[in-house]
Amino acid sequence: MNRPKSFRQSMAWLHTWSGLVVGWVLFAIFVTGTASYYRTEISHWMRPELPDAIPDPVAAATGAGTFLRKTMPEAAGWSIKLPNADMTAVEVYWWQTIGGPFHHALLDPATGERSTVRDTRGGDFLYRFHFELNMPPIWGRWIVSACAMILLIALISGIVTHRRIFADFFTFRRDRSAQRGWLDAHNVMGVLALPFHLMIVYTGLVTLASMLMPWAVKTGYHGDIRRYYADAGLMIAGRPPAGRPGAGLPLGEIVSRAIAATGETPEHVTVSNPGDAAATVTAYFEEPPGLAHLHPQIAYDAATGVELGRVGEAGAATRTGAVMIGLHEAHFAAAPLRFLFFLCGLMGAGTVATGLVLWTVARAPKNAAPEGLGLRLVRILNLGTIAGLPTGLAAYFLANRLLPVTLDARADWEVGAFFTVWVLAAMASALYPRPRAWSIALTVPAFAFLAIPVIDSMTAGQVRFVGFDGAMALLGLLLFLAARLAGRRALARRPAKERLHGTAEA
Amino acid sequence: MTAPALLLSLLLAFSGFSALALSQDRHHRAVIRTPVARSRIRGLRAAGWSGLGLSFAAAVTSVGWCFGPVQWIGSLTGSALAVVALIAYRPTALRAAALAAIPLAALTLPLALMR
Amino acid sequence: MSAGGVNARRGTVRAYRLAVAARVLLAIVGGYGVAALASALLALVLPVARPEAVSTGMIASFAIMAAAVIWVFAARTVGRAALVLGLAAASLIAALWCAGAFQAGGAA
Repeated sequence: MNRPKSFRQSMAWLHTWSGLVVGWVLFAIFVTGTASYYRTEISHWMRPELPDAIPDPVAAATGAGTFLRKTMPEAAGWSIKLPNADMTAVEVYWWQTIGGPFHHALLDPATGERSTVRDTRGGDFLYRFHFELNMPPIWGRWIVSACAMILLIALISGIVTHRRIFADFFTFRRDRSAQRGWLDAHNVMGVLALPFHLMIVYTGLVTLASMLMPWAVKTGYHGDIRRYYADAGLMIAGRPPAGRPGAGLPLGEIVSRAIAATGETPEHVTVSNPGDAAATVTAYFEEPPGLAHLHPQIAYDAATGVELGRVGEAGAATRTGAVMIGLHEAHFAAAPLRFLFFLCGLMGAGTVATGLVLWTVARAPKNAAPEGLGLRLVRILNLGTIAGLPTGLAAYFLANRLLPVTLDARADWEVGAFFTVWVLAAMASALYPRPRAWSIALTVPAFAFLAIPVIDSMTAGQVRFVGFDGAMALLGLLLFLAARLAGRRALARRPAKERLHGTAEA
Repeated sequence: MTAPALLLSLLLAFSGFSALALSQDRHHRAVIRTPVARSRIRGLRAAGWSGLGLSFAAAVTSVGWCFGPVQWIGSLTGSALAVVALIAYRPTALRAAALAAIPLAALTLPLALMR
Repeated sequence: MSAGGVNARRGTVRAYRLAVAARVLLAIVGGYGVAALASALLALVLPVARPEAVSTGMIASFAIMAAAVIWVFAARTVGRAALVLGLAAASLIAALWCAGAFQAGGAA
């Protein structure tokens, strides 16, 4: 970089180093984000006590309202997710101030009290991890966003660097040198799923745009984000509290009005200033068919049940943003298309992983020469992330079945199992002998995933989980295959025929 | 119906990508063991692009202009991955698979157009 | 990278590292700054309804930042990269001022 170079050379440098510095975090984001396509299925599996039958949403809403009035009558807000086929219990959140903390409980719709189902964060943990990294939300979101921006840069510079996108479109030379094989794998997974990669990273940034880029709202609306949301057709304008106490109707009453008005059951309802005379209940409905992530909304006066307003029509630009968020979440995708999104997500994780491995392979010392400190560090971080994270993931699922159901703070123990096993697997992989490190490190999660269906059949043992268990077994087998391939590649490693300098030069 | 519609775009894109791969000398040698004849390159390319075009048309007519393009791009990724995997691990099976995909696509067509 | 390090003398290595650090810093601060200013300006000057202009500004800002970062690493020297970003930022600020963003009751 200190002397003039061609555009492509500087982009190759940028691609290599931008990819390396955030590669490990990106891998974790891709894996947990991809798993989030099956967030409801994971949550289902992790709460085997929940029945499949969908309870009456009206009674469930009334019960939840009673629970919340008892728990925090002076709250700034309540949120109630009504039961549906994805989740047959009632999820409630409540908060004292708009900035949180946000309290959470799962309610039994029959009693309106806390559910006795095993305490777990289910698929929501993986979903939140993929954009908050289990850190304080603001920190996690900024870090993930920075990684996403760097990934966007890595994608653009990678496209510039890869000068044979079409000529090498189908090329995967697995029988040549190790470096060639890794490079081809990196290119194939990166190029074939390139539309997905570009889409997912850009739309991911757009989902957090109001936090990352508040400046348009600053100039356009003097920083009043709520007025922007209301004008843009994303939210209903709220109303200030009256300052005197008031009693609301039973929530079920308002839910039945919402059902009568639209013919649809709301997905969730929120109550703002529930103890106030001007309390407002907002019903959010499922997105109508289409790509855009725009929930129809109706606001009601909590005390009288009178309709206060509906969400406005979004314009073209706002709708474009909503389509981007919709594409990111893929809620619109039925099972077959969702599987393709899942596959693309795996290819994203694979592109990151092969890129990280390629960095070390391209710099590996010839013969038995000792590796330098930097190379060793990267290699161990690679092993610890690429093989360690799946091990932690399997541990998360296994802990769900093996921890006692009534254990105190059980959900935290599950998350603890995830991180502890991940760290242990990473530390162990630092000790494996270098030539066989990958095959050993990948065999560990392979066994762990294969253990999931076995343990599940011994503990919960329900026919409706056959699909999930089968998927876990398949993941285990795929990891075995990867371990075998890595082993073979290590044996075949010999001085590369082609001398390549930068990793990204094809 | 979405599942047959997706299968239809996948099959058509798979045949298309196979033809495009065979129009490249390296892959033609791997799959058919002979260098690709000059005269055939143009035909294979035309077949390949029309396969991709038909795949797009199938996606848009069966699930509409909103989901069609999304589904099409997804099936491009999926089918191209299958072509790459076949060339790398079972090269001799590619031609038969690509040819078999066409009648299969024809069988899927009525199901895909059913609403 | 590969060509730079190994047999160059210590001074060159340090100069190289400084140049890389400068570009990284410029990419982060300058890239975000230009994107933020452009986003703020788009919200005011686009000839569409106010919420639409704001949405456009937010959505487009990430592409603007990406382009700025690519420019920082593609430019021949750090100075050139900084000069162009500085000029872009200055003209965006001037345009924002003309659009009334800094007047009483305005933002920023």
